[in-house]
Amino acid sequence: MSFAEIQKKATADWETLQKNDKPRILIGTATCGRAAGALAVLDTINNELERLGIEAVITQVGCIGLCYAEPLVDIIKPGRPRISYAGVTPEIVPQLLEDYLINDNPRPDLALGTIGEDIVDGIPKLFELPVLKPQVRVALRNCGHIDPADINQYIANDGYTGFIKALKMTREEIIAEISKSGLRGRGGAGASTGFKWERLLEAPGDEKYIICNADEGDPGAFMDRSLLEGDPHAVLEGILIGCYATGANYAYIYCRAEYPLAIERLKTALAQMRENNLLGENILGSGFNLEIEIKEGAGAFVCGEETALIASIEGKRGMPRSRPPFPAVSGVWGKPTNVNNVETWANVSAILQKDAGWYSRYGTEKSRGTKTFALAGKVARTGLIEVPLGIRLGDIIYEIGGGIVNDKKFKAVLTGGPSGGCLPASLIDLSVDYESLDQAGSIVGSGGMIVGDEDTCMVDLARFFISFTQAESCGKCLPCREGGEEMLSVLERITNGEGQEGDIEYLEWLANLMKSGSLCALGQTSPNPVLTTIRYFREEYEEHIKKGYCRAGVCSGLVRSPCQNACPAGIDVPRYIRAIGRGNYGEALAIIREKVPFPSVLGYVCLHFCEAKCRRGQLEQSIAIKELKRFAADNDDGQWKKNVKKAPPTGKRVAVIGSGPAGLTAAYYMSRLGHEATVFEALPVAGGMMRVGIPAYRLPPEVLDKEIKEIENAGVTIKTNNPVESLDELFGQGYDSVFVSVGAHRGVVMGIERENTPGVLDGVDFLRAVNLGEKVEVGDRVMVVGGGNVALDAARTALRLGAGEVTIVYRRTRKEMPASEEEIDEALEEGVKIEYLTTPTGVTGSDNGLKVRLIRMELGKVDESGRPRPVPMEGSEFTTECDLMIKALGQESVVPDKYGLETERGGRISADKYTLATSREGVYAGGDVVSGPASVIEAIAAGRQAAVSMDIYLGGEGNIEEVLTLHEGELPPLNPDEIEADKYRPELRMLPVEERLKGFAQVVLGFDEKCAGEETGRCLRCDLEER
Amino acid sequence: MVGGTVDHGLSYSQRLLPLVLPHRGERGALIPVLQKVQEEFGYLPREVIPEIARILCLSESEIYGVATFYAQFRFERQGEHTVKCCQGTACYVQGGRRILDAIRKELDLPEGKTTTDDYKFSLERVACFGSCALAPVMVIDKTVYGRMTPARAREILSQF
Repeated sequence: MSFAEIQKKATADWETLQKNDKPRILIGTATCGRAAGALAVLDTINNELERLGIEAVITQVGCIGLCYAEPLVDIIKPGRPRISYAGVTPEIVPQLLEDYLINDNPRPDLALGTIGEDIVDGIPKLFELPVLKPQVRVALRNCGHIDPADINQYIANDGYTGFIKALKMTREEIIAEISKSGLRGRGGAGASTGFKWERLLEAPGDEKYIICNADEGDPGAFMDRSLLEGDPHAVLEGILIGCYATGANYAYIYCRAEYPLAIERLKTALAQMRENNLLGENILGSGFNLEIEIKEGAGAFVCGEETALIASIEGKRGMPRSRPPFPAVSGVWGKPTNVNNVETWANVSAILQKDAGWYSRYGTEKSRGTKTFALAGKVARTGLIEVPLGIRLGDIIYEIGGGIVNDKKFKAVLTGGPSGGCLPASLIDLSVDYESLDQAGSIVGSGGMIVGDEDTCMVDLARFFISFTQAESCGKCLPCREGGEEMLSVLERITNGEGQEGDIEYLEWLANLMKSGSLCALGQTSPNPVLTTIRYFREEYEEHIKKGYCRAGVCSGLVRSPCQNACPAGIDVPRYIRAIGRGNYGEALAIIREKVPFPSVLGYVCLHFCEAKCRRGQLEQSIAIKELKRFAADNDDGQWKKNVKKAPPTGKRVAVIGSGPAGLTAAYYMSRLGHEATVFEALPVAGGMMRVGIPAYRLPPEVLDKEIKEIENAGVTIKTNNPVESLDELFGQGYDSVFVSVGAHRGVVMGIERENTPGVLDGVDFLRAVNLGEKVEVGDRVMVVGGGNVALDAARTALRLGAGEVTIVYRRTRKEMPASEEEIDEALEEGVKIEYLTTPTGVTGSDNGLKVRLIRMELGKVDESGRPRPVPMEGSEFTTECDLMIKALGQESVVPDKYGLETERGGRISADKYTLATSREGVYAGGDVVSGPASVIEAIAAGRQAAVSMDIYLGGEGNIEEVLTLHEGELPPLNPDEIEADKYRPELRMLPVEERLKGFAQVVLGFDEKCAGEETGRCLRCDLEER
Repeated sequence: MVGGTVDHGLSYSQRLLPLVLPHRGERGALIPVLQKVQEEFGYLPREVIPEIARILCLSESEIYGVATFYAQFRFERQGEHTVKCCQGTACYVQGGRRILDAIRKELDLPEGKTTTDDYKFSLERVACFGSCALAPVMVIDKTVYGRMTPARAREILSQF
């Protein structure tokens, strides 16, 4: 049969299949589908069809790239468009088949989308979904649509027409067409494909070889596997064209042995090519001969490098050799050879099937066409994608990928596998193409894209990559062999808490040595992950080295339990939870007091960073650590006081400016170290933001007073109504060291017209006035602008002061609001209204109060902050009235110039990140005045550090560690079989809503004894796990 | 399929010859030959190396050089079932380490020990299967299991 006849028959068969009066079912059974259980689903489908007495045509197809939705089953009912069903398990199959095939209910609840022109009510079009809309599937054009084991289905879909076209062209014309398309090697190096083919064509001799590199060793890359399993002919046609164009009569496909299904598909495909006279002698009567042989890899990552690959085909150890001579001159068996990657070949066949102009329309000037990426890691929609080069990085992560799972924060994406680097969240607008990624320090590579979030440690990841490349190093050249080992040992030290000053510089030096001295790309690129993580995440390295701190909570040598690690003050959470569980509440409180002097305050208002990292949260819900802390504080028996130590007087005097949590904590520890500590407070009452920022219904004043009393009992003198104008004054009075912790108490300007109109108040001013007992008129209608805790506090306070209607206006949606979830929930319960996607543009006074002009917003793309940028909607302005407008958009600090301290934007004091030293000797600073508005616990941690630094400055050891209770002794870890599943937090007692608005009574009443005990039982005791 | 546990009634030599002889004189045949030999015996018994050397006209050191270079080849008898736990980047980021630890504990295979005493299981750490979107991944013999958790790993192993 001539090809034309084969094509005619194949096309006819395909049309018949489409018009079939029997239902058709397509199921993805490539490796991804199988790993998700597709074979069991297929069995169930077959059984059910038999049971229902329905005859259907079942086609096993490759991967359409929606791996997150596997197992995928498509049903085409005669007369209806194709419907894709996601997450189809054997349990779902019987009902689905009966509902759709018998009762004609297409089950929109189970459907992902439809494919084709027609619509089905309630089901979106699959290719309009955000996950597929930005994609352009060229290499992957047939995957998921045809049976990869049937050459006729390939032929019916333009298969081999590229080769037919090539037969009518000269070799030079074919190569020119490939060059014109701009196709660059998709394996990682990105060299011009046309250029490489030219080199092979011009090489002398007539024994030439083509090699298809299907070694795909990058961890995180599975594009080539999917292509070979889903559409092997797209690759084989490309090879056929390439061999014809360059005069090669023999081709090797070097496929890693770990891909048995791909190898099986290739073998079937080659046999079918031969049957159809597309392989062997005198192909399609053209006089051209070609043989293709499959060579299986044997487990060596380095064999992805072309000269090592060639050595492996020759039966030798896979060790690279220097180039020149390049394979085009001397390759396999010493003969001219050209190596191209699987995806490159699949693009070749597409280009010849259509034309170069069509292909080069996609992409950027230097990076033309499309590229597949294996999107994996912490995104919601992991899978295999193909996009035009030049697409925005953020679009891949948020549009296609669906953003980060569990609402965690996007941190970085690793591209290019172990040869590549990381792109941090700040590069979210980056164009994804070869040049841009190179400039950013990474590479496109073969296409692996692994997304990391706040729980990913970049130092650990660098260590991980080096351990991989070091194990895979062939050992031939010294820079790679020894350099890799040395880099690994340094990174292991750092992740184990044994990092030393100079380690980062040493790593950079080793990296440059390896880059310039290694023989092949493995050695040359293996330092990349280390270099880019140092470039963008140097702070994390420094934290590991200088503080022995892993902020992601990953490095097991540094992290005992994720909760304790996440706590800025390092409170031993699991230990005090166990104490509560035993009924020893006083002991629990003592454990907390070993680290912080404000256990009650924290129990009432802490932002609980610990809970965000709690491992129980991966099961059902994190432990209510804050509430347990409060329970312990409310039930304290004072036993902690017995073991408190106070050092003998040192004769040194320290001054603290500001009596907030940072200042009082610093003073407390300094006093215990024997120094005379005096706190100067400008306001009439002590406590800082704890006193004047947090409303009484969240933190009762008596609770705060009690803990401040303990600080005074420890020997600290607090002078209220005592602002400090200059530091010279204090030094003049004989103070030896000063800690500046004046906080951030001035509201940030909104930036709208006439915001100084009377009737517009700042949130912190408002709350301070209320807490200081001043009379504040709120009128009836109150508008609060902002979405943080201050805005929520102001709104709920306004209600309690008698406002009839309180509305919060916020420019994004609830999901992006910085305020804590509990606050928002409680506010809504109390009747606060929230207008999302709205922001004011101007305000004027009127007889009836204030007239406010507002504009509606819509959410644009996600920006560096990890949140969608709000964009004003043209023409959506409107006006509303209110009696009082409270703005709560953040705070700045006000530090007198006379202090003579270096400051940054927002009035913040510049202080050393680790010692808190300022630009002036003997003067330290910490808390909100350094960090900007943060939290009570972070301020307390700063206070602790200040005490340490200042004690050292004054000649002491800076040791504030204490033991306030006996240690538990050795305990075994929790037996995994003892963990009861599906246990959520017990009920928290709350003041009924009707009661709340009558005044400022405490809203959250906490756990009762029984509930507290129950909650401690859910703790997984991560600190006791074996390392 | 696995060497040692099944009695073929044939000597190593008799089992070896049909695998190697057809490749005599072929270029680059060593790796495919070693792969076939390992498929037959489950590993590369040291006894067969001299024979392969003789037939293919290679030195024993050349064969050892190649066999020790590639991760696929083993010189010790393996368990009936091979458990491969993926430690590739995507699996690692999704908690692959805990799966590996759980498997080690369940099979009582501390670091350094690959095969269980009863030769039922052999454990390998693998860098990447290419099923990254379904991380973490574990493969037992030819079946790929995705979206693993330590509990699921234990459950699946107990079914063997």
